Amino acid sequence: MLLLVATFFMAFVLLLYMLSPLISPKPLALPGAHVVVTGGSSGIGKCIAIECYKQGAFITLVARNEDRLLQAKKEIEKHSINDKQVVLCISVDVSQDYSQVENVIKQAQEKLGPVDMLVNCAGMSISGKFEDVEVSTFERLMSINYLGSVYPSRAVITTMKERRVGRIVFLSSQAGQVGLFGFTAYSSSKFAIRGLAEALQMEVKPYNVYVTVAYPPDTDTPGFAEENKTKPLETRLISETTSICTPEQVAKQIVKDAIQGNFNSSIGSDGYMLSSLTCGMAPVTSITEGLQQVVTMGLFRMLSLLYLRSFDTIIRRCMVERTKYEITDKTA
Amino acid sequence: MLLLVATFFMAFVLLLYMLSPLISPKPLALPGAHVVVTGGSSGIGKCIAIECYKQGAFITLVARNEDRLLQAKKEIEKHSINDKQVVLCISVDVSQDYSQVENVIKQAQEKLGPVDMLVNCAGMSISGKFEDVEVSTFERLMSINYLGSVYPSRAVITTMKERRVGRIVFLSSQAGQVGLFGFTAYSSSKFAIRGLAEALQMEVKPYNVYVTVAYPPDTDTPGFAEENKTKPLETRLISETTSICTPEQVAKQIVKDAIVVTMGLFRMLSLLYLRSFDTIIRRCMVERTKYEITDKTA
Repeated sequence: MLLLVATFFMAFVLLLYMLSPLISPKPLALPGAHVVVTGGSSGIGKCIAIECYKQGAFITLVARNEDRLLQAKKEIEKHSINDKQVVLCISVDVSQDYSQVENVIKQAQEKLGPVDMLVNCAGMSISGKFEDVEVSTFERLMSINYLGSVYPSRAVITTMKERRVGRIVFLSSQAGQVGLFGFTAYSSSKFAIRGLAEALQMEVKPYNVYVTVAYPPDTDTPGFAEENKTKPLETRLISETTSICTPEQVAKQIVKDAIQGNFNSSIGSDGYMLSSLTCGMAPVTSITEGLQQVVTMGLFRMLSLLYLRSFDTIIRRCMVERTKYEITDKTA
Repeated sequence: MLLLVATFFMAFVLLLYMLSPLISPKPLALPGAHVVVTGGSSGIGKCIAIECYKQGAFITLVARNEDRLLQAKKEIEKHSINDKQVVLCISVDVSQDYSQVENVIKQAQEKLGPVDMLVNCAGMSISGKFEDVEVSTFERLMSINYLGSVYPSRAVITTMKERRVGRIVFLSSQAGQVGLFGFTAYSSSKFAIRGLAEALQMEVKPYNVYVTVAYPPDTDTPGFAEENKTKPLETRLISETTSICTPEQVAKQIVKDAIVVTMGLFRMLSLLYLRSFDTIIRRCMVERTKYEITDKTA
């Protein structure tokens, strides 16, 4: 009896797996595709540009600093696979003024044709306790990380909808899936990106435009070095729960998921667990992904509660230490 | 055998239920507490102020418009339960300038003592397709909904941590739990509030300060009327999935505690919901395209 049930179940799962392509989008062909990468002169953005270039795409790099853009261009061009490929560099601050961004996209489209894939990597990270970070940080991070993703996306969306093809990639973060100590300003901006992506995906799905949100862990980039400068001890200790990645690893995964049209892009097994756990009402593009989320949700929630307890313990220990130190200091 | 397992399971659940108070915070006593409500002159904010006032709290109402503040004050004072209660009104834009907000909190604390509970209701909603809303809307909604919650919270947090007691309430939205068609600008701002709240809670938990994030559905308020002005058809149809609430219902619940739910089953349901939303949207798009073709050939 049990054997019969098990057999039926296996057959059912197999059937779902075979039906899966029915809801999955057709992969985007990178050879000859026009890929725009904001924040493309360093870190994850640069690695994504290299990854796409290696697969035959034409790249438009967008960033603020012209020297860094040219340096990145030279580095990317080493990976060309044919004579026709081009790397275009345009310098602009994507968070300042929408009309400037619109202009940049127009220039890029005049030179390399309509945008097939937009990758929003422009962003920065600052960590610190809620009452310690400069007050302007909240607005600044939201401006660069969120508005800096809104404006380029808005500049390409109409053409993508008309052509009935497109990919828009947003870089959120594991800190955009769970609010962590020391990341009040940063987590908010990365959560915002997720909200934007979910709402946008719902709007553009019937037009065959797919949105991908990437949730990288700590990644070894200049941006991460910047974040570490003011990082509180508690945040550092909590972050040791997941291991640091190289930007190349992250870029490979993101490009793979973007081509496939997967909404969630996560790196590593920690990333997989966190994405399943926090999938919420996010869409899926494969039936097996949905099935995995349904089956693992309860277990992952239990694990997450254990994680949260360990974070709280770390934070309480630090607080006790600090109070002891202050008392010793005063009585000394 | 199965009966044995079931009995153990029931005993286990009962044990957990009895141990629950060990991790639950001690409820905040509202009588005599100083509650600050931003966006308190209308909608959910005003109802929350009334709810707290009915339970004996001292209220500071913060909003931009002085006339609306005074009107709200009169309405709230009808619900007083003793002679000592006070409703203080201070007019400021909580999203403009942190030092102004800091000043307002200082004034309020000088008159009514340290803030026990801060309720961030200041916010607005605009809906429309991503490429149709005015470009400035993204920044505007983020400023009012997000920064307008950051600044007051920052102004009260240090004192709450020192006193080892406090509550900070953030108003997110069901649109802050799921990104919906027509809410690119609004959902982002409400998701941001959730990220802020989660990170903040982790920081202040050892200080006995607790953060609550409310996720109201469509609620019958002036803010909702504003949102409906530019609402696309798809959004309206999708919103009919949940029923509209009164601000009084919402306020009552927010002032109480929230309850946790089981996940796996709900994820399955959520996937079904998402499918129905996609169908609505695709139908509208097909209709619209047909309409445009008919229009061109006519």
